[in-house]
Amino acid sequence: MTVGIVVVSHSRALADAAVALAGEMLHGGGGPLEVAAGLDGGGFGTDAVAISEAVAAADAGDGVVVLMDLGSAVLSAELALEMVDDDVRGRVVLCPAPLVEGLIVAVVSAAGGAPATEVAQEASDALLAKSGHLGAAPDEAAPEQVVTDTEETGTFTVGMPHGLHARPAAQLVGALRGLDADVRLRNVSLDGPEVSGASLSRVATLGALQGHEIAVRAAGTDAAEAVRRLLALAADDFGESALPVAVPSPVPVGHPIPASPGIGIGPVRATGTVSVTVPEPVPGDQHGRLDDARSSVRDHLRAVRDRAAREIGAAEAAIFDAQVLLLDDPEVLADVGTRLDAGTDAARAWADALDDVAGGLAGAADEYLRARAADVRDVRDQVLRALGGVAAAQGAGEGILVADELTPAEAAVLDPASTPAVVLAGSSPTAHAAILLRARGVPAVVGVGAALAGRAREAAVLAVDGSAGEVVVDPDPATLADFRARAEALGRHREEASRLVHEPAVTRDGTTVLVGVNVGSPADATAGVGADLAGLVRTEFGFLDRREAPSVDEQEAAYRAIGKAMDGRRITLRTLDVGGDKPLDYLPMPVEANPFLGVRGIRLALARPQLLADQLQAIVRVAHDHPVDVMFPMVAGVDELAAARRALDEAVETVGRGRPADLRVGIMVEVPAAALKAAAFAPDVDFFSIGTNDLTQYTLAAERGNDAVAALADALDPGVLALIKATADGAGDHVLVAVCGELAGDEQAAALLVGLGVRELSVAPGSVATVKQAVRDVDLAKARELAAAALACPDAAAVRALLR
Amino acid sequence: MADVDTDTLQRWLRVFAASVAEHKDELTALDAAIGDADHGANMDRGMQAVVDGLAATPADPAALFKQTGMTLVKSVGGASGPLYGTLFLRMAPATGGAASLDPETFAKALRAGLEGVVARGKAEVGEKTMVDALTPALDALDAALGSGQSLADALRAASAAADEGRDGTTPIVARKGRASYLGERSAGHQDPGATSAALLVAAAATAVAEQGAA
Repeated sequence: MTVGIVVVSHSRALADAAVALAGEMLHGGGGPLEVAAGLDGGGFGTDAVAISEAVAAADAGDGVVVLMDLGSAVLSAELALEMVDDDVRGRVVLCPAPLVEGLIVAVVSAAGGAPATEVAQEASDALLAKSGHLGAAPDEAAPEQVVTDTEETGTFTVGMPHGLHARPAAQLVGALRGLDADVRLRNVSLDGPEVSGASLSRVATLGALQGHEIAVRAAGTDAAEAVRRLLALAADDFGESALPVAVPSPVPVGHPIPASPGIGIGPVRATGTVSVTVPEPVPGDQHGRLDDARSSVRDHLRAVRDRAAREIGAAEAAIFDAQVLLLDDPEVLADVGTRLDAGTDAARAWADALDDVAGGLAGAADEYLRARAADVRDVRDQVLRALGGVAAAQGAGEGILVADELTPAEAAVLDPASTPAVVLAGSSPTAHAAILLRARGVPAVVGVGAALAGRAREAAVLAVDGSAGEVVVDPDPATLADFRARAEALGRHREEASRLVHEPAVTRDGTTVLVGVNVGSPADATAGVGADLAGLVRTEFGFLDRREAPSVDEQEAAYRAIGKAMDGRRITLRTLDVGGDKPLDYLPMPVEANPFLGVRGIRLALARPQLLADQLQAIVRVAHDHPVDVMFPMVAGVDELAAARRALDEAVETVGRGRPADLRVGIMVEVPAAALKAAAFAPDVDFFSIGTNDLTQYTLAAERGNDAVAALADALDPGVLALIKATADGAGDHVLVAVCGELAGDEQAAALLVGLGVRELSVAPGSVATVKQAVRDVDLAKARELAAAALACPDAAAVRALLR
Repeated sequence: MADVDTDTLQRWLRVFAASVAEHKDELTALDAAIGDADHGANMDRGMQAVVDGLAATPADPAALFKQTGMTLVKSVGGASGPLYGTLFLRMAPATGGAASLDPETFAKALRAGLEGVVARGKAEVGEKTMVDALTPALDALDAALGSGQSLADALRAASAAADEGRDGTTPIVARKGRASYLGERSAGHQDPGATSAALLVAAAATAVAEQGAA
């Protein structure tokens, strides 16, 4: 059952904003949602024809609920009903609910599988929570006194840290649907009134927070079943614990996998959480002190988030969003506020409130929830530090870290200076944590298994080779000497690489491979010492965290700054690559069930032609006095490329100085279809740049950000390699094939990629020297043999074994 | 008595469009007093779109009414979009697909249109809406045709009745549309919807009189 929802408003902006607000309830899920708002030429108004089309589009056969603002919206919606097909009309409910409140309840209710009439009823009841809060509760009819001979009762305690909020409430209502039972719920802890369990919005009025006791009373023939289902749901925290990761991460039995290159030798880090001390009370306005501290931590987290998003990817950055949410969590703040009002000082109140939250999580049965406790402690400590606290016993945080798993938040703060290496019992080289460890330069071996991890924890000294995937417990002097020799060799190798960084990367047999730098900000361009070009400039940096789109002049200045930092070397400017997973303020987007398969990259650019036109103008202006590549992301078909090229031609015309002589055009190859159709694109491009991160996700149907499937999303999977080969084959002799994903920065993969036909590798600033050095070791004939062998491998592990 | 052909019906729409354009500021001023100050602009935009669409001549009155209704629905934006749109959309089937309309069929089509407006807006006479001009107009039209008057004369009577109905909206306290939010304060202002509706009836009288004169 997937009821569609249509939003009708006089104002497009109002409708989009309401949809965005409602989308926050769904975390990307939800059924069809269409907007019919404003007039075609812009301006306020409603259009019955547009509404009828939206209704038809939103109808998947299970009905549609239409929410409207006022006046003509209602009349137009009624008229629209006359325009849709008869069978559709019978499934449409025009809902009188207030637009914003109603929409939020409706999307949650629809996502929970409610039928159209129920979604509409829920939406109409949406005012109850607000009017109740403001003391103007509508006269709710006293609950019908049900016959008691079949009555069943029970109680449960709310276990979720965020209480019985909309999503679990929808689970609750959904579980009762279809049962012949009148179910009444009462918040015993608040001594509140009884409400119907059939109504999402009434369940919301329970105000059930974590720890509250809820009494259940049911009557009817299915009463017993109803109570049984509710108690079972409650015991399972209403499915909340299962939400992010239900599958335990696979822990192979002792197959150590190299996850981050480098050698680490040292003592095992003292286990246990390193807490920050709670600073002594400081007089003054405690609310204000805490607000200031939270504000500075929030700024810091946002900066880290933006950096992670630029350097690693949106999925990896999301963890920091979660930390910001925790920092501003209204329930946590309410708890802290109560403590402050009771006279506790800011630091103690914050520490105690967050310890409570972390304690609740740490005791959870679910592995994922337990891991979240680390996030909570992390946020706790950051704020305490901002309030003047210091980390207790800094030295305790030094040494090789041995753990079952590592959260991204934990990985992101590890410092190679104090953490020579990381050894994990589980995880995979493609998990969040491993990606972050590579980015930070901390050597790591993962998947060593519980047995080896257990022995490692007991060890005095560990020797770890993150390139080879070796972990030696309490090494004897000879082994220790061997690892030291490897470390020295690695150091020499890196020194040699640095010394030669300005030299071109030429294989032993004389083939030049360009090594570029991936740039997420002008600062990255400066850091890309020795790069032959900026092979990927993520122009998103100019668009994030703004209220409005950057002007042509602003963009021109930003791209010029990168050109200047690259000192005349070519810059490859990728046009804006965003999607519905992270909408920009000035670019409201409808909620998509799956934004990574939705309107993003070139699709978004073509849907917002002005945005693209402005960016291309800025790019063309710079291209008149700097060698520039323009690169279009997420291209799936040749018509998209043709449309983008037309937009580029128009930009050239608008700038009015003719076509810049050294302007080249290319596409990102991230969609498997584009790789397989490379020959069709080849006549119209100067280069292909393979985005192995997204190509891998799309090829293996596994999201890198989801650690439960991250192990599947391995760029060394022979399926991905075959697509790289297909791209190179389709490119022919005149189209350059580049790789700008994370795989390009893997020294061990350099020969394989060159063997597959890749002639440009664009990598993070820190990897330019080592990748150039790796290319210098490549022999093209042998590389081609290696590529052929890799393509014949059954899986990524076999390919990795070939590379070692 | 000649039937009303598509040429005359198109003239009706052109005259109405010109009349709305001429009274655009007045309609907007009336709406500014008790509504959201867009009636003149909205109707003008809608009727210009209708006139622009006339270039492609529809086959029969039903097609013309349908095209007009759809255009208004799509381009007016405010409440008058679905209301005037409904008026014309409901007129279409009431013509029975005739190539030209005899006076009774034309009156019947207008009546069907009015019924559509009443159903859509849930407004009755005396609630300060376009219904207050259209209802007495169509009552007068039916009465005049029943007493054997020509369509031209009957439409003149209808137009006079519409004007009277329009003037009668001034003292009423609005109970529909945004004007109703003003409550008592809406009294003392002439209703913009009734005003444009009276223009519509007057335009029909003008167009049919010209057909008779031609």
